[in-house]
Amino acid sequence: MRRPSVVVGAAGLLLVLPLAALTARAFADVWRAPALLPQRWGLRGFDAAFAGDLAGSALLASLGVGVTATLLALAIAWPAARVLGERRLRHPAAVFLLLAMPLLVPPYAVGVGLTEWFLRLGLTGHGAELLLAHLAVVLPYSVLLLLSGFGPEVRWLEEMGRAAGLSSADRLRWITVPALRPTLAAAALVSFLVSWSQYGTSLAVAPAQPTLPVLLLPFVGADPQAAAALSLLFLAPALLALLAAVRAMKAPA
Amino acid sequence: MRRRARDLALLAPACVVLLALFGGAVAGMVRSSLVGLTGGPSLNAWRALFTDPGFADAARFTVQVTVLSTVLAALVGLALAALLRSRGALPRAVLALPVPVPHLLVATSAVLWLGPGGLADRLLGALPLELIRDRGGLGIVLVYVYKEAPFLALLVLAGCGRSLQAREEVAAVLGTTPWQRLRWVTWPAIRGPLLVGSIIVAAYVAGAFEVPLLVGPNAPPTLATFAFEATKRDVIAGQGTAAAALTLISLFSIAVASLAVRFARDAEGA
Repeated sequence: MRRPSVVVGAAGLLLVLPLAALTARAFADVWRAPALLPQRWGLRGFDAAFAGDLAGSALLASLGVGVTATLLALAIAWPAARVLGERRLRHPAAVFLLLAMPLLVPPYAVGVGLTEWFLRLGLTGHGAELLLAHLAVVLPYSVLLLLSGFGPEVRWLEEMGRAAGLSSADRLRWITVPALRPTLAAAALVSFLVSWSQYGTSLAVAPAQPTLPVLLLPFVGADPQAAAALSLLFLAPALLALLAAVRAMKAPA
Repeated sequence: MRRRARDLALLAPACVVLLALFGGAVAGMVRSSLVGLTGGPSLNAWRALFTDPGFADAARFTVQVTVLSTVLAALVGLALAALLRSRGALPRAVLALPVPVPHLLVATSAVLWLGPGGLADRLLGALPLELIRDRGGLGIVLVYVYKEAPFLALLVLAGCGRSLQAREEVAAVLGTTPWQRLRWVTWPAIRGPLLVGSIIVAAYVAGAFEVPLLVGPNAPPTLATFAFEATKRDVIAGQGTAAAALTLISLFSIAVASLAVRFARDAEGA
């Protein structure tokens, strides 16, 4: 019994240590080899990363496009997820194929292809191109995650609400949304994370309006401490996602 | 009939948006690869791609990194799933840690740990192998295995569920050996999620370029990096070459996914 615990502990350490070192690097003003711990701690990395307006505007762009693309994707995905989740389609294969395709085509390819149209349609320079490109990548995840929440149980609860005389808006507010809350939360979180992590799509579509990952990459070679500081910002939503997942796992079924 | 029309109307917003944006993106990419500098149809971009001296190396390197990363991630994922199958929420939460972390962050952390003079060098004296920017792409493979093995393990664990344990117990009572239970009870239950996850991993590894840009060698590049660099080398003609390379990666991923799904169906029918 003891041996597997040691193995699990070692595996856990292997998963946690790299991210812990990233945190240490962000606050290490001086960390010369071969020392295992920094010689001087400080905030130089954050100062260097946030010198000028670029990091602030990249953070706002990432947050803005992530939140907007997530809300739009959830709103568009909801009716489709209901039809697919309740297995109302006799031949759903074509729809699932359409949903799977964006997972197979490289994000940079989606960006390059969309840029071709955005240039023709004069859609560049408004910020809309970034939002539309992220929506193309996020929407399949929203549909695929949301559909797992719909099913006969929700349908049955809604029928009871209808029999009790609730209007369709009241049924949505008091029955459907509460019944789907964990699925909705998971879909929102994953959709946001997919948008938040996009590198290739954002780089292809809006190189002049860098998002956080586009801004971060050049720092890795040029200033590792600033890169680590930006990484911590970039990591925050992922940690929130993990905390939410742990909470969901511990919640009674 | 009316119900069917209503269902199609409910599906329409998502399908129309996806067809317009994603379908438009694919059409735009293919169009870029088939339109010449004068605006007329041309195969120049494809010709430039196939005659580029770096193309064959990039294609070989992409297949090598994709296959190695996917197979190793699947094997490590299976081992992690076996290790954590009978454990509670906390070890699974630790296992889930790298899943929501962006690939770019894992690659950044890899540079910090495995680069020259990095933490691994300081801990061990010197690493026996060069892992960052090595020509074999070991650093890229390591980053993808670290990031994707937990993802595949969680998919496999979700496929296990409680009903699988009950079926395994029934099989044990019926006198099957552990190997027979693995072959006829456990494997059929986890094969599906493992295959779907592996297809997603392979498609991602073949098409993304932030990890190769950070930890991969300067030469050979992966095909996605090759496409990105083509747009830097030649701002005008490079767009067509990049579009051709990206079309090729997309076709590769779709072909691999179709073959894998067909193989799984055949195995199920056998």
